[in-house]
Order: sequence, then C-alpha cells, then structure tokens
Amino acid sequence: MDSLRLRPPGPLYRVFGVVVAVWLAVVIWLGVTGPVTQLPILEQTARNLYFHVPMWFVLYAGALVGAWHSGRLLATGRRIHDVRAEQAWLVSTVFGAVAMMTGIVWSRYTWYQGTGIWWNNDPRQSMVMVQLLIGGAYFILRGSVDEPRRRGRLAAVYALFATATMPFLTYVLPRRLASLHPGAEANPAFSEMDIAADMRWIFYASAAGFLLLGWWVYTLRVRSAAAAIRSVELADDAPAPVAIVT
Amino acid sequence: MQTPADTTIALLDTTAAQTAAVPVGSEAYMLAADKLPVVAAVMLVVWIGIVALLFTTERRLARVEQALDAAEDARADSVRS
Repeated sequence: MDSLRLRPPGPLYRVFGVVVAVWLAVVIWLGVTGPVTQLPILEQTARNLYFHVPMWFVLYAGALVGAWHSGRLLATGRRIHDVRAEQAWLVSTVFGAVAMMTGIVWSRYTWYQGTGIWWNNDPRQSMVMVQLLIGGAYFILRGSVDEPRRRGRLAAVYALFATATMPFLTYVLPRRLASLHPGAEANPAFSEMDIAADMRWIFYASAAGFLLLGWWVYTLRVRSAAAAIRSVELADDAPAPVAIVT
Repeated sequence: MQTPADTTIALLDTTAAQTAAVPVGSEAYMLAADKLPVVAAVMLVVWIGIVALLFTTERRLARVEQALDAAEDARADSVRS
C-alpha cells in the first residue's frame, strides 16, 4: 500500500501559524471596537458580519478542497487524497454548522426581534441546511463501509456530487427568492452598496484570516488522521508475540 | 460653627468615584465607545488561549510523526535483512 508519510513541515509552517494567530487577533480587535454603520434593526450587531460571513467562506473553501482531493483519489488511487478529502469535508461541515448557528442567533435578535421566531425559512438559511445535511450524509456513508479502498472511492464520488449541488442550493436558488441576506435583489452580493467603506477592509481581512485558520486546522487534522492510520498499520504488521511455553 | 464636609464616604462610594474621575491612562481608551475595547480585550485573551492549544498540539503531533517515521524505517530495515 502507498505510504501515508507526509513531508515534514518546515519552519515556514510555524511562521504561518503565528501570522494567522496575529492576523485574527487584529481582526477581533478591529471588528469589536472599529466603526460600524448604525443601521436600524442591525445596530451594533452589524459587527457580526466580520464573524458570521467568513464561516461560510470556509465552508465553501473546504468543500472545494474536499472535491479536489476526491477527484485526485479517483484519478490516482493514492490513499493520502482520501485522508485529505475527509478532513477537508470535516472542516467545511464544522465551519458550516458554526455559520448556521451564528446566523440563527443573529437573526433571532434583529430581524425576528419581538416575534419569538428562531427559524423563518429564509431561503438561503434553509438551502444551506439542506446542503449541510447532504454534507453530513458523507460521514454516514463513510461510516457504513468497512473496506478502506471501497469506502474511499464511494465517498469520493458522493463528495463530488455534494459539491456540485452547492452552488445551486446556496447561491442560485436563494437569489430567486426574497431573503434577508444580501443579493436577493439579483444584484451581486458584497457590492459597493452592501458594505460601508469603513467596514469593508475589516471584512476582507476577516475573510482572509478565517480562510487561513481553516487551512491551518485542516493541515493539523490531515497530519493527525494520517498518523493515526500509520500507527494502526504498524501495530497490525507487528510480528505475533512469541508464546512462552512453560 | 459649621463642621467641614465628611469626604470619607465619597471615597467608599464607587458610583461617585466612577463619575467624578476623568479617565486617565488605559482607562481613557478602554472606557470609550461603550467600553467595547473591554470586550475586544476579553476576546483576545480567549483567542490567545485557543492559539496556544493549537500550537502545543502541533508540537506534540510533530513528535508523534517523527516516532512513526523511525518505527516505519526500523520495520523496513528488519524486513530487508
């Protein structure tokens, strides 16, 4: 079987970690204390833009990385692509769940204030929920197949399907329906109209920072998952203990 | 004869102390803007804790990987010999 040994990370890897840590510290500071446009309904919660929306970006990025490695697995059969695809999907799904929860809390105390509504079938929210369920089924599928090669190939095919549904469910369809998310008027989201100039650069910095954080966590997960498989294989290949006859 | 005002009670009265004093030093910054900088400072401490855990986990993982490399190399050598 092909080796799961990864290239050992160089010193740049730790520099990268420090950069991400400092970058997001600055984003947190500016995001909480910086200027926001005081809009009705949103008021100070406009700051959630910096912390809620980048979670979605990591969901998309993770799904794309997962789809890439799923395709590579089908093309090459190398096991490391299966490990990478699974961990990318995991990071994507966790950040997606965080995005969903932060969105629910945010909308409950702004647009749905005074109504007691936690869930109002906002199209984008509902479609992303569908997408998260499709993504969650990926892990159920993996859990239901024992043979690693078969599991990898099945999961890869499914992952490609699940990624293909993503732009339609979360981008195209919500644009056609009334929503509290930007872009529902068929204009591109994040245009000059949507974000005040003061907030724009903090938002961009936050999006970049959380994408880098997602990448950092992803690499850690890939390394630990590969190490786990290697240790099991070492144990399985160990010579049987010599029986001591007394 | 009028006695001088008792000022000790004002020192104990924290409300009076907060309203009377003009913020100086770090307070001049931290107490501005509805004390939002205080929230940012707390979030930073939380973030530093999470980052410290990520870094120590990475160190530990690197040691495990080195041990696995050594074990796999030893296994390959024993198979060859």
